[in-house]
Amino acid sequence: MTEQNIIDLKNITVTFKNGATPVKAVDNVSLAIPRGDIYGIIGYSGAGKSTLVRVINLLQPPTSGTITVNGQNLQQLPPKALRQARKKVGMIFQHFNLMKSRTVLGNVEYPLLSQKITAAERKQKAQKLLALVGLAEYAATYPSQLSGGQKQRVAIARALANDPEVLISDEATSALDPKTTKAILELLEKLHETLDLTIVLITHEMQVIKTICHNVAVMDAGKIIERGRVASVFTDPQQPLTTDFVETSTNVKAAIERITATVKVDELAADQELIYFNFIGNSAKQSIISDLAQQYKIDVNILFANIDQIDGENVGYMIAIITGDLAGFDQAITKLKDNGVKARRLSQPKGAD
Amino acid sequence: MAALIPNVISMQSEFIQATLETLYMTFFSAIISAILGLLFGILLVVTQPKGILEDALTYSVLDKVVNLLRSIPFIILLAVISPLTQFLIGTTVGTTASLVPLVFGIFPFYARQVQNALLDVDHGVVEAAQSMGSSPSEIIFRVYLREGLPDIIRVSIVTVISLIGLTTMAGAIGSGGLGDIAISIGYARFENDVTFVAMIIILILVFAVQLIGDWIVKKVEHY
Ligand SMILES: Nc1ncnc2c1ncn2[C@@H]1O[C@H](COP(=O)(O)OP(=O)(O)OP(=O)(O)O)[C@@H](O)[C@H]1O
Ligand SMILES: [Mg+2]
Repeated sequence: MTEQNIIDLKNITVTFKNGATPVKAVDNVSLAIPRGDIYGIIGYSGAGKSTLVRVINLLQPPTSGTITVNGQNLQQLPPKALRQARKKVGMIFQHFNLMKSRTVLGNVEYPLLSQKITAAERKQKAQKLLALVGLAEYAATYPSQLSGGQKQRVAIARALANDPEVLISDEATSALDPKTTKAILELLEKLHETLDLTIVLITHEMQVIKTICHNVAVMDAGKIIERGRVASVFTDPQQPLTTDFVETSTNVKAAIERITATVKVDELAADQELIYFNFIGNSAKQSIISDLAQQYKIDVNILFANIDQIDGENVGYMIAIITGDLAGFDQAITKLKDNGVKARRLSQPKGAD
Repeated sequence: MAALIPNVISMQSEFIQATLETLYMTFFSAIISAILGLLFGILLVVTQPKGILEDALTYSVLDKVVNLLRSIPFIILLAVISPLTQFLIGTTVGTTASLVPLVFGIFPFYARQVQNALLDVDHGVVEAAQSMGSSPSEIIFRVYLREGLPDIIRVSIVTVISLIGLTTMAGAIGSGGLGDIAISIGYARFENDVTFVAMIIILILVFAVQLIGDWIVKKVEHY
């Protein structure tokens, strides 16, 4: 089993018949997830993310389309083989879904109950998993006594009990505060590395995608409207919705609103413009400013700047007022594009109206 | 004492006998109703739309049977069911014969209560179990019944208390028991003390069931 794509969804459509009007929750989506990837799926509420990932383990049978996981077409499996296949796809949820009648250890032992191993072996394995998620000393506690972050750790340990190759996380951090979210994401990243897990991560926060994903798909109204490497989607979003997610997560959106509210764009001098720069790599920011100044005689007055680490790359955002020869600026920008720098006017082009 | 309850004093052995009959009727009809009620309740939950073994036909048949049986007033059920009682027990009167109407009077009620208790089990937990490859029977026994246990015990208490109430009506078909004493002796002979003491014993039984039930709930519940 060395297919490059551990999950391969082809032309998946899921239609719900809610009364009179059928809802196409997933609309002809094809999605291939490479083995060993951390693949993010982002979209607003109701976009169809949960429905799509529930198709992966056939918790939600699709109206049409084919599902191949680990080289197996799940739809052709008899019930027993399907259950066996599901064990190789762990899942964690926004509301943890732990059993309140079982202790933390009991919850982690649950998936092992159907395995032919002794009670002692089962307990040992569950304890090892609890240690892995940092909750060894909570074995005898009941979930009701744990914090949200701890509950999610228990759920992660439980999801790993069957030694899955894929872990699906459906908004696993949406109910958690930023600090706990970060800790859970770090844990997932650690598990990805140590256990060779492929992770499919659903979220509505670009911040989460940025933190651990390698690839991302943007969903809207049942369709994947954009997909690719996280760094390239971040620096070069094609769709307005993607741009919206990116700018919200980088604070650029708030910065643009703040700046356009304070800087009277109309009052800029004839040789001034408000520009939003976006660049990949650390050195890029320095070179924009110096290149513009030296080669093109354009001054750059920075109003906002931010650098993010995305999938191992530095990605920068900058809002600045440029002053000088504006004809030369367009020329400069075309050249800088090759170095991974992009620019967008926030002020209206002069003489446009 | 003798002045307060003159007739009861002379009926001590009848009272002991009646209490035993009430306990007998309650106990055996509870056991049988528990089995039937759990079976129906579980089937209703798993076969309901979006249930783990969704089956529209089974669901609607069970649902209608339960509704129908629950609609028949018990005093009429006692009479109407007598051919079945004759078939099953060989007679239509007496303590054992009363078990048949008691079971049919209480198990549909219990089935609904069990159904509601199981519906309260978080659907997310069921879905998590499905995602871990649990089979329907594993989900029933290791998730539904286990997660729903505190609520099942609660509804069982309510059911047993209702059942004690029904046993008193079974006197109408010669079942004996405390209800029978209260009506056919206490009420019929204007011996109010007999009726009163029968009621007190029933109240004691009810409180005992409630106390024991609450204690068990406390033992099994973890939140
Ligand atoms: N079981 C269902 N029956 C009917 N309609 C459903 C069902 N599940 C989802 N839907 C509908 O499908 C659409 C997509 O829902 P889905 O839960 O997949 O969205 P989501 O992207 O996961 O949203 P959220 O971020 O709120 O979790 C919604 O319009 C929803 O109402
Ligand atoms: Mg969802």
